[in-house]
Amino acid sequence: MRALVVEDDPSVAADVANSLRSAGFVVDVAADGEDAWYRGDTDEYDVVVLDLGLPRLDGLSVLKRWRASDRVMPVLILSAREDWTEKVEGIEAGADDYLGKPFEMAELIARARALVRRAAGRASAVIQMGRLTVDTRRMTVSVDARSIRLSPLEFRLIDYLAHQQDRAVSAGELAEHLYGATESSDTNAIEALVTRLRRKLGPGLIATRRGFGYLIDGNAT
Amino acid sequence: MTLLFERYIERRVEGELTRDARQLIADLSIDAAGGLVIGNEPTDPRFRDPRSGLYWALSTAGHELKSRSLWDERLPASDLADADDWSTRVVKGPFDQQLLIVERLVQPRRNGAKVLVQLAVDHATVRDARRDFGLDLATYLLLLWLILAGAAWVQVELGLRPLARVRRELELLKSNPAARLRADHPAEIQPLTDAINELAEAREKDLAAARRRAADLAHGLKTPLAALSAGSRRAREAGAIDEAEGLDRAIATATAAVNAELARSRVATIRNAVQRVRSPALPVIEQVIGVVERTDFGAERVFEVEVPESLVVPAAPEDLAELLGALIENAARFSRRRVKITGEGAPTACRLAIEDDGPGLGPQRAEQVLSRRGRLDEADSSTGLGLSIARELVEATRGQITLGAATLGGLRVQIDWTLGH
Repeated sequence: MRALVVEDDPSVAADVANSLRSAGFVVDVAADGEDAWYRGDTDEYDVVVLDLGLPRLDGLSVLKRWRASDRVMPVLILSAREDWTEKVEGIEAGADDYLGKPFEMAELIARARALVRRAAGRASAVIQMGRLTVDTRRMTVSVDARSIRLSPLEFRLIDYLAHQQDRAVSAGELAEHLYGATESSDTNAIEALVTRLRRKLGPGLIATRRGFGYLIDGNAT
Repeated sequence: MTLLFERYIERRVEGELTRDARQLIADLSIDAAGGLVIGNEPTDPRFRDPRSGLYWALSTAGHELKSRSLWDERLPASDLADADDWSTRVVKGPFDQQLLIVERLVQPRRNGAKVLVQLAVDHATVRDARRDFGLDLATYLLLLWLILAGAAWVQVELGLRPLARVRRELELLKSNPAARLRADHPAEIQPLTDAINELAEAREKDLAAARRRAADLAHGLKTPLAALSAGSRRAREAGAIDEAEGLDRAIATATAAVNAELARSRVATIRNAVQRVRSPALPVIEQVIGVVERTDFGAERVFEVEVPESLVVPAAPEDLAELLGALIENAARFSRRRVKITGEGAPTACRLAIEDDGPGLGPQRAEQVLSRRGRLDEADSSTGLGLSIARELVEATRGQITLGAATLGGLRVQIDWTLGH
């Protein structure tokens, strides 16, 4: 697993790099924004730990440039500022997680691993179902070429339904898939999740087949 | 003033007496025996009433002629030697009266006997006139004083009324550094209000600068704290466990203080804002959920949002983000699966509620969490800093926060605002 640590404070950078190495990562360190942008643009990383306050080019701009040039590696933002407005900006610029300074190193490692795990096993495939497009590599969904932001849980549900093609999937099966085998009876959360997804994607795309469950109807309007 | 008046009255009385005396002298003749003869007596009836207070008397060495009012008394003798002019004196006379006497020696015939002409009036008439005048004067002066005092009071009251308004507006300024005195004061005190406003401007700038410096300092400390934390980890790896634990405790304390300072700075900024801004709630809620669902615990939660698009709440978007961020993150952290955000608005009030399906807080615990006042850095870690910050923020935006049991089973945090101020 390769990780890029972008941090201008040498002491913090060394600490994060060492801890990630101990956790099994191969780590590169960039100390300014331009160096970071170049490395992220040319090398393949499984995760990037990105500080926002950087010399030469600020972290948010680096992230926007990567995303604009289709670099989809998971990015964990590290910032001294912990305003929610800034967190929102970070996430909307394409970050996958956000950690405020000072932080527990164990938490940073755990979150970096979670990001890698989430991104791993993504089949490099795009599933097209009528108006709906599911990009399993970038973990994005679009309806009529309009990109829709989904939470990881929401994406997993859509991804699962998309892989079943025309088969209706019961709430119990979805709960089992999303939460594990012991939780198949908890279907309230699934219903709430489907309601929220329908609001985001538009009505009709997730159809209910009475007595059987949910399925994607890509041609619904 | 009464003395002047008395002198004036005396001169007038003397004038009248002298006039009567001249009339007497004009009618005076001396018969062959040297007796005094008078043609017409003065006409004033008081000369005929005994003890009337108005008397006349003519006397020579051997003869005497006097008014009936003197009865059997006589006027005090005079030692006048001079025949040239009238002289005046005040002496005690008959009937226990104090008399003002005008007298003169005349010589009706050349080389004849000299006649003493005396006219007297009771001096009490002058005194009475003076007393009456004094009373009238005192009444008049009292009245004048009352009118002048009233006028002065009215003038001061009207004149200082604008200053009272300045004082009221200054009270407001004291409690809110962003307030200013109004511009429609009278021109006379405009320079004063301008000066006060300039002072307030400077004060607000200083306050904002101080707050900014505190926030910058707090932010500035975060990276060094992270570096210290790195140092602590190295110390631990090198076997210095005790030192590392001491460092960690210090870092945790400093971090709590820094976070509390940042929260306080934000709360103070909201509290001192003059204009109450409003912002639509739904976009901010969705943005905050967008962040929370990226966190490791938030990634597994279902967020249900039942908030009408038209709902506006009395807070700036960034403050609302801070408030909802704290509450939604808290709810996501303690929930099992679901976090539900509901909102409703009426013309005069609005409400947001955040519920989760976690373990919730007992009523007693909820009471404890909310009754803590202004001690962010002592916030209980089991409910996170979230609820304390949220309470401060809600109160700064003049809302009310209540904790209760959620229909989902966990904690329900409800925020109510009254609109229309």
